Amino acid sequence: MASLTVLYDSECGLCRRAHEWLAQQPKLIELVFVPCASAEARKLFPELNHEWTKADLTVIDNLGAVYFGPKGWLMVLWALTRYREWSYRLATPELLPTTKRVVSAISQNRYQISRAVS
Amino acid sequence: MTIEITTYLIYLATSIALTIWVARTLHKNGRVFLVDVFHGNEALADSVNHLLVVGFYLINFGYVSMALKLGYDIADAKEGIEALSVKVGMVLIVLGVMHFFNLFVFSRMRRRKAVHDGRPPIAPDSFTAVKQEV
Repeated sequence: MASLTVLYDSECGLCRRAHEWLAQQPKLIELVFVPCASAEARKLFPELNHEWTKADLTVIDNLGAVYFGPKGWLMVLWALTRYREWSYRLATPELLPTTKRVVSAISQNRYQISRAVS
Repeated sequence: MTIEITTYLIYLATSIALTIWVARTLHKNGRVFLVDVFHGNEALADSVNHLLVVGFYLINFGYVSMALKLGYDIADAKEGIEALSVKVGMVLIVLGVMHFFNLFVFSRMRRRKAVHDGRPPIAPDSFTAVKQEV
């Protein structure tokens, strides 16, 4: 795997801040950020359901494997030098249900969280 | 030979024998871990293994030597054996702690290696076509 394309919601403050933070982190795998459902995203992935990507973070590797929602978040962590170990830890069968619940809760409330922190 | 000297000599002989036994066990069984950590580079693994064992010997012999002095008089063989059992028991505990510390170091090294040639933590949801940039 050479790179991961991250389809993020450019209209949410929290996501933009996460994007800035990610840009500064040392990486094991290149991360490419593309706003979700944008013309660029549609061009890159012609067969993808783009309405779907608005609902939660979507990460696609250079071979076309799609990781949606919590899986996408885990893949982003996995790409970071300092957090790869955490991605394995959070993906263990014991922790995965909690990871999914927490990540989904953050995603679904991202506009409220953005408003609260700004 | 007084009873104190006999106790000291038995203490030294037992502690040294135990240390050598544990160090050899580590040396023999730790090698396969290290070869794995260093991607089959046996020369490097052997070298690190040897250095670890040297450190192990230094700490243990250092402890054995510092803990030699009894600090009180022994009247008979019974007290000698009692003093000996406390001393040797402490050496065994120190060896045990060192042994687990060594195992911890080995497993840490292995985990770190696993992190760097790792696969993705999770399977993808689906696959989609990717438009190749021309």
